[in-house]
Amino acid sequence: MSKSDTERLGPPPASPDDSAGASAGARLEGILRSMRKNTRQIFGIPDYERYLAHCAEHHPGEPVLSKREFFAQAIDRKYCKSGPRCC
Amino acid sequence: MNKISSVILWVAVAVAGAFAFAALALGRGESVNAAWLVTAALSVYFIAYRFYSKYIAERVLQLDDSRPTPAVRHNDGMDYVPTNKWVLYGHHFAAIAGAGPLVGPVLAAQMGFLPGTLWILAGVVVAGAVQDFIVLFASVRRDGKSLGEMIKMELGPVPGALALVGVLAIMIIILAVLALIVVKALTGSPWGLFTIAATIPIALAMGVYMRVIRPGRVGEASVFGVVLLLASIIFGRNVAESATLAPLFTLTGTQLAWALIIYGAVAASLPVWLMLAPRDYLSTFLKIGTVVALAIGIYFVMPPLAMPRTTRFIDGSGPVFAGSLFPFLFITIACGAVSGFHSLISSGTTPKMVEKESHMRFIGFGGMLAESFVAMMALSAACVLDPGIYFAMNAPAAAIGTTAANAAQAISNWGFTITPEMIEQTAKDIGETTILSRAGGAPTLAVGMAQILAKAAGGKAMEAFWYHFAILFEALFILTAVDAGTRVGRFMIQDMLGHVYKPLGNTEFLPANVLATALCVGAWGYFLYQGVVDPLGGINTLWQLFGVGNQMLAGIALLLCTSMLVKMKRERYVWVTLVPTGWLLVTTLTAGLQKIFHSDPKIGFVALANKFSAAAAQGTVLAPAKSIAEMQRVAFNNYLDAVVCGVFVVLVLAMCWYTYLICRQALRQAQPTAQEIPPMTPASMAAD
Repeated sequence: MSKSDTERLGPPPASPDDSAGASAGARLEGILRSMRKNTRQIFGIPDYERYLAHCAEHHPGEPVLSKREFFAQAIDRKYCKSGPRCC
Repeated sequence: MNKISSVILWVAVAVAGAFAFAALALGRGESVNAAWLVTAALSVYFIAYRFYSKYIAERVLQLDDSRPTPAVRHNDGMDYVPTNKWVLYGHHFAAIAGAGPLVGPVLAAQMGFLPGTLWILAGVVVAGAVQDFIVLFASVRRDGKSLGEMIKMELGPVPGALALVGVLAIMIIILAVLALIVVKALTGSPWGLFTIAATIPIALAMGVYMRVIRPGRVGEASVFGVVLLLASIIFGRNVAESATLAPLFTLTGTQLAWALIIYGAVAASLPVWLMLAPRDYLSTFLKIGTVVALAIGIYFVMPPLAMPRTTRFIDGSGPVFAGSLFPFLFITIACGAVSGFHSLISSGTTPKMVEKESHMRFIGFGGMLAESFVAMMALSAACVLDPGIYFAMNAPAAAIGTTAANAAQAISNWGFTITPEMIEQTAKDIGETTILSRAGGAPTLAVGMAQILAKAAGGKAMEAFWYHFAILFEALFILTAVDAGTRVGRFMIQDMLGHVYKPLGNTEFLPANVLATALCVGAWGYFLYQGVVDPLGGINTLWQLFGVGNQMLAGIALLLCTSMLVKMKRERYVWVTLVPTGWLLVTTLTAGLQKIFHSDPKIGFVALANKFSAAAAQGTVLAPAKSIAEMQRVAFNNYLDAVVCGVFVVLVLAMCWYTYLICRQALRQAQPTAQEIPPMTPASMAAD
């Protein structure tokens, strides 16, 4: 199951070695990026970078969707197939 | 040591809860603070989560993190993605929370705050959270299958088909009742209608931005959308005060009903990225923001509850809805206590994103507790209002007339003292011309929220802004639900039509699309129109029809869970699902049969229909109908409502029978017969 661990969403586990070297600005950027990713996921929008990482790991060499196609398809799937929402 | 501090902590939570309940239930005469209501709720949630959900997770379901979830098995980086448990909790909550928990508790407040509070808290722990959790578990163990597919797998094809018909019928009713709430809130309100209308161009602009200009930049587009929305609320006051613009945005109930029907048909035919998706993001933002603001507001302002613990209307004579506490309280408050609709979400996108089985306890059980908390806040906001104002807003014109003077007199006669000036002042404070008979929950909640939020920020001058903010917030996600629900209804109808005539089932075939959209919009539009012209106010009929349907769906989902536990050979734990199933069946069947056969025309559909058709036959016109043709329409609509209610009753009885047969069969087997995905064996892991 180690594969899924690397692909999991959410803030990366804090490791003291990284943060000591990185500047405060870079850390802040990292936090903002993961916040944005998480907020999107709450809204039901998949993460493009993770999709690219997934493709690179599992289907190397195969063509990937462009960012625009990826979001377009994600939205279409979300509202066209998914079940009804609540009252 | 750790153990001792944990014991101390949970004893403290229990004591806080006990104090809160004592304050709620025992005081004499003096008013109770809303903060006690919220405290009682929180302590129940924490204790139920810590102990009961742990019991279900470990003993009943025996969650096993070594079993791969669908997200792990099918990880495709898009739909099936192992997701952080907190993020998925947020996603699941955003998907289950809608207008339901805001409306039901407000309507039920006519019986006082105590009955609603006790049912919301008991219902969520025993029924609602259990249903959401176990359905999620069932779906995860079945590769993310939907409720309908699981019923087909575990109970057979006939129950599967019956469940689909039931879901479609409930969808139609919920869409009608949601649209009716919007109509009730916006009738004769140019300020409200302008802000809602403004969301259409705002959403279109956001959609184009996210699709064409900056793909996937949801955050930027949403911030820009929220700013425009706030601007439209502020500008709405100018529209309402303008002699030229105000008449354009002042519509009657029937005009609004037609506008919504046309809107539904057009919106459901547009590409999803253009309007539905951006509007959905906006409403999710507002939903989460408003719920948090209201929770903070209640603790910050600590308003006293003006509504008594119980009112005389527990006897069934209430003006908001007719029918006694048992069974009607239990179908009026659906979402917040237990909602069948959640079983569709718990078997929708959420199971495809669960990373580990143990996370389901937090997401399924915990998510429903948060939904219940929203219901408790809605109840608090309604009970903070002066009861006289509450009844002025929620009783139909047939009961209180159409002027402030008549209303004040009628309501004071019920024992809730109010003057016409108070009614007029409240309308003025929120920037409206009238507050009378705005049934449906949304406006009442908006006034309650406006009073709480204005005390927290902005003072009296801001009340009108907060009122229209609250109306916008509710109308926005109701319109999103109407749009999304019409699409889902269209797919379901196409799926069914496809069995009759193959080309009609093709979702790429335009005429079939148009036909299915028209059927779906026509069906909910019919019930909406009927509700708008209904002499008793419409909500009285439609909300109860929805409540019966929704709670019966919960009963069906719990019957599935029951059969699953039996098939897993966990029959010694079957009470966990059987107790809530039994309660739901008792309340919904009683309510369903009373709605059909009760001799009081205020409660029974058939009695009301007979009364009107008999009078029409003799040529007398009963108020508020104005002609014999209207009389006949009232009679026909009530016969139709009786039939819909009867369909729900028959459906749920059939499901009970099939579940009984399956369980009896499974009990005779020595081995588990549930159709789960088997756990990973060393051999299958090697094959992976």
